[in-house]
Amino acid sequence: MKAAALVLGKDLRLLVRTPAVLLILVVFPLLVAALVALALQSDERRPDVAVVNLDTSGRTVAVGESRLSIDDYIARLSEDVDVRRLDAESAASALDAGRVSAVLTIPAGFISDLQAGVRQPALLLDTSRRSPIEADAIVRNLEAAVYRLNQRLAIGYVDQVLRLVDLVVEGGRAGFFGRTGDALGLRRSRALVTGVQERLRAGGQPGAAGELEPLINFIDETQRNLDLAKPAANAIRAPIELRVSESAQGREPLSAFGFAGALLVSLGLAGVLLAAAAISSEREDQVLVRLGRGLISAWALVAEKMVFTALACLVIGLTLLGVVAAFTSLAVGRWPLWLATLVLAGLAFGAFGVLAGALARETRTALLVALMLALPLLALGLLPDATVASAVSQVVPFGPAFDAFQTLLVEPSISGGDMARTLAHLALLAAVFGGGAALVVRRRFAA
Amino acid sequence: MLVARGLGRRYRGVVALEDVDAQLYAGESVALIGPNGAGKTTLLAILAGVTRATTGSIAWADEAAPRIGWVPQRPALYQRLTPRENLRLFAGLEGAADADALAEELIGRADLGEFADRPAGKLSTGTVQRLNLAIALAGRPSVLLLDEPTATLSPDQRHRLWEWLGALREEGMALLFATQSVDEAMRRGDRMLVLTAGRLLFSGTSEEMVRAHGIGPGADAEAAEMAFMRLVAPAEGAA
Repeated sequence: MKAAALVLGKDLRLLVRTPAVLLILVVFPLLVAALVALALQSDERRPDVAVVNLDTSGRTVAVGESRLSIDDYIARLSEDVDVRRLDAESAASALDAGRVSAVLTIPAGFISDLQAGVRQPALLLDTSRRSPIEADAIVRNLEAAVYRLNQRLAIGYVDQVLRLVDLVVEGGRAGFFGRTGDALGLRRSRALVTGVQERLRAGGQPGAAGELEPLINFIDETQRNLDLAKPAANAIRAPIELRVSESAQGREPLSAFGFAGALLVSLGLAGVLLAAAAISSEREDQVLVRLGRGLISAWALVAEKMVFTALACLVIGLTLLGVVAAFTSLAVGRWPLWLATLVLAGLAFGAFGVLAGALARETRTALLVALMLALPLLALGLLPDATVASAVSQVVPFGPAFDAFQTLLVEPSISGGDMARTLAHLALLAAVFGGGAALVVRRRFAA
Repeated sequence: MLVARGLGRRYRGVVALEDVDAQLYAGESVALIGPNGAGKTTLLAILAGVTRATTGSIAWADEAAPRIGWVPQRPALYQRLTPRENLRLFAGLEGAADADALAEELIGRADLGEFADRPAGKLSTGTVQRLNLAIALAGRPSVLLLDEPTATLSPDQRHRLWEWLGALREEGMALLFATQSVDEAMRRGDRMLVLTAGRLLFSGTSEEMVRAHGIGPGADAEAAEMAFMRLVAPAEGAA
């Protein structure tokens, strides 16, 4: 322990003494973070939208043969956006923190408005503090979703209206509020009225028969108008309206996903390269063999390099998070979890880097090996939806590190169990790669 | 003090050292001489505990194993640390109770005072070699193993280093040093071990080596050189 602390002190002293390396360690991640964040900030990605449902009536509206509920509506929305159901307060906080791209509010009485058709129901979309590009993408996605829903509702309404028109015109059996009965219909009404009129004329009551004429005219006029059914078609042209509002506040836009990717690339590269350089420089200075004469064990030396890398990752990570918190719209927060994540990710990157560095004979080769191993694996880590890539990235530190960064930046609410599993995964990989690195370093002690 | 029997080492089937016996006593200076690839570094590395022997054993005359200092041929130290920092670090790693005091003592003994706060990578070869030796002394060894310590030094640097080694020897430290120079082996060693192709060809004084090859009763540098060449030539040819 004391030996590891002494070597750690030496590594930190050398790091501080080398301004060029320090500058690279600070500037490089910032540069990489900016580039990766820009690259990942695309409107092609499905946005995360918080849905706040204030309509708790549980009512449904008949659409054609089926009935539509709020849950059905949200399920249909999720075809276009990643839906996160939250209460109003959590949604506002998630939007403020940049963990969701927008908040879609379903107002109270939405379904009954839809049902009654008296007042046009409206969905409320808040896209405050987002990038204009991303906000446009979200509005487009939701407009498309509402348009498709409107179309489906329109078809259902038209069918309903036509059946109703048919019932009014032709008559037949109809159900109202759970009761069924026989509807007379305009055609049969006209036949009844004209029959009465003829009987009155035949009975020598032409005056009374003439008084029925306006009723017959009304029935004819109504029938003609119903044939057109225009008022019904106009009424259901757009049953739901999407009202978009944008808050005035907002700073530089940055997507949480983009920043998570940037953090992964910058910390992953810096950590792996630093660890590889740290172990290979011991070898290049010929000191590894001297250390191996019982001055420090291979395990302790690898652990020391891992801690050294973790400290560097912690400083770089906190710097990046600080810059983001200070100059962009992305709210960071969750600092205790960030500390744990950065330390564990740093340990895992360090173990991976020490293994790569110990495999090479001198520093330049070690850096090249580390870079060649890290770059493709980092890229795989950024493709969480690709099954094979995801599987590969989960056996190296980059996959779980990205998961943890995303969870902390994106998830509106964090499941303690899931986060603990991700951190345990990182710790396990740190131990596995650290163990492998210690075996290689032990061989190098004797070289 | 140190008795090695039947030491051998193979690297992926290639014999680097085979059945070598060696003894080293307190206050003694023994030269390990042989051409390139003779196995000198391998033998020193095994005795230093850096490399594991494939065969053979090492025993200590005393009950406790002696503390062994090791001076590798290429200086094993941090080039970007100063001599003072290097010595403090290695003194700490060796478990010194007061690493700073030991570092200062070693700076004085190695005559490094003028250079103590300059990065080691910017010092002359001779100064770096003195630092390399000082680091080996940070563990307060009773046996010092040196792998061609003067190979890259100028005559005056070499002289200065041997003066210091001589003083250490007078303090009772045992020295085993590798060299390719018969002259250095003769002048600085009480005995010599001649290694070629991993095998020990001779162990004794230079006079004994000269006599064994019928060159003459005396043992001047030229005679010793001739005896050495006669000794190693057949083995090298066979190898």
